[in-house]
Amino acid sequence: MSEKIKILYVDDEPDNLVGFKASLRLDYQVLTAINTQQALSCLNNHQDIKVVFCDQRMPNVTGVEFFEEIRISHPLPVRILITAYTDVESIINAINKGNIFRYVKKPWLESEIIAAIDEANKFYIANSMLFIKNEELQRAYNELNKFAYSVSHDIRAPLSGILGAINFAREIDDVEEMKEMMYLMEKSLKKLDTYIISMHDYYSLQRGELKIADVDFNKLMDELKAIYTVLSKTNNVEFNVTINQNEVFRSDEVPIRLIFNNLLSNAFKYLDKTRDNRSVDVTVEVQKGIATLHVKDTGVGILGSHIGEIFNLFYRANSQEAGSGFGLYNVKSALLKLNGQIEVNSVMHQGTTFKVTIPSI
Amino acid sequence: MKLAFIVIDDSELDCFVSRKIIEHVDKSLNVKTYQNAELAIEIIKDNPIDNSEGLTIILLDLHMPIMNGFQFVEEFEKLPIQKQKKYMIVVLSSTRNANDISRILSYNGVESMLEKPLTLEKLTSLVHRVQQGLN
Repeated sequence: MSEKIKILYVDDEPDNLVGFKASLRLDYQVLTAINTQQALSCLNNHQDIKVVFCDQRMPNVTGVEFFEEIRISHPLPVRILITAYTDVESIINAINKGNIFRYVKKPWLESEIIAAIDEANKFYIANSMLFIKNEELQRAYNELNKFAYSVSHDIRAPLSGILGAINFAREIDDVEEMKEMMYLMEKSLKKLDTYIISMHDYYSLQRGELKIADVDFNKLMDELKAIYTVLSKTNNVEFNVTINQNEVFRSDEVPIRLIFNNLLSNAFKYLDKTRDNRSVDVTVEVQKGIATLHVKDTGVGILGSHIGEIFNLFYRANSQEAGSGFGLYNVKSALLKLNGQIEVNSVMHQGTTFKVTIPSI
Repeated sequence: MKLAFIVIDDSELDCFVSRKIIEHVDKSLNVKTYQNAELAIEIIKDNPIDNSEGLTIILLDLHMPIMNGFQFVEEFEKLPIQKQKKYMIVVLSSTRNANDISRILSYNGVESMLEKPLTLEKLTSLVHRVQQGLN
C-alpha cells in the first residue's frame, strides 16, 4: 500500500501509548491521545483517520461512552475497543448498538491488533465507497427532479400554445392572419424539436463512453461550414473559419462537434440585428497536443451578471424564445468528458468570444 | 368601464394567439404584448397614474427567462397602491405543479389563474366576471 493507514489510539496510560506506537509505527501512521478531548481535536485535525482504538477504563469517560459520542460527530473512522474482561455487559450492549466494530482484549498481541486494523480498513473502504456513491446518487436524483420539472413544462408549453392556436383557428377567416399564425406554429414546433434533440445530447453525454480516434479539424469544419454558411447568408453575417492543424490530434469527434454546434448556433442566434458589420469568426489552433478553439461573434453580448450562470442547466439569459437552457450545459458536460476548459468574454452590444481548450488524449 | 390587456409571455405564438382572442371578444379592447417581463414592469412603472376609470388585466405567464412570473409579481407589489389598483393580474400558465400554483396564488396581487391554452370561452367568462364585479 502506497500510503500508511492512519490510526488513533486513546488511553489514559502514557506507557500504553508509547508501547502501542513503538510496535506499530513502522506499518501504520499512529496518532495517540491521553484523553478524549485530545482525541477529539485529533479527529478534527485528521479527517483521514481510519481506525480509532480506545481503552475502556479511563477517568471521566469510558471508551464505550466516547465511541457513542464520536459515532455521531465522526461517523467514518472504525471504532475498536481495547479492554480487559470487565464491563462485559456494557461492551456487549455497545457492540449490539453498532457503536463498536470489534474489541481487542488486554493485554493485546501485536498480531491481533494488525488483524483488527486489516479488517477495520476493509470495512472503512467499503463504507466510504458507499458514502461517495450515496452522494453521487443524491446529486443525480436532485438533477433528475429538476429535469422532470423543467422538461414537463418546456414540452407542455409549446404544445399548449399550438393547441390554443388550432382552437382559435376556427374563428379566423383572414388567410393572411392564418398564414402568420401557421408560421408561428411552425417556429414553436421547430423549437420543441430542437429541445428534444438537445435532451438526447444531454442523455448521451451523461451516459456514453468516449470513442477516441484521430480528429481532423479541417474535415470536421467542412461539414459544419456547409450548414452555417446558409445561416450566415440568410442573416447577412460574415462567416470566417481559420484552421491551423499540422499534427495528429486524438479525441472523440462527437462531443467536439456538439461543442461547435452549440457555440455556432448561439453565435448566429443571438446576433445583433441593429448593426451592419456582423461577423462570426472561428479559429482552431492545434499545437503541442492542445486544440484551442475560438468562436467570436459580434452579437448582443451577455450581461455581466448572467455570465456566471450561463453554463447551468435550464438557465436562459435571453428572452428570445429560441433557447432551451440545454446548450451551454451540454457544452460544459462535453468538455468535462474531454478534460477541456471553456472561457467566455462578452461585452454588451459588442459581442461574445468563447475560448475552448481540449487536450489530445 | 374601459378594459385593457397586457399579455406577458416569452412565447411569440402565445402572445399572438392571446391578442387575437382578446380582439375577437371585443375589437375595442386595447392589447399590448411583451415577451420580456422585465420590459413590461419597467413600462408599467414609468406610466403615470391616470385617474380614469379603466382597468388593465395582465395575463401573466409563469416560466420565462430573465424575469419569471413570480419575480414580476414581486416587483409589481412594490408599486404604489394607487397604481396597483389600476391593474389586475391573472396568471396564464401551462404548469400543473401544485407548488407553483399555490405559491403564485398566495400573492395578494394575483387575482386568479387560468390554465393554458387560452380559449375564447375562458376569456369571455373572465371579461364578464370582471365587468360584473366592477359595475
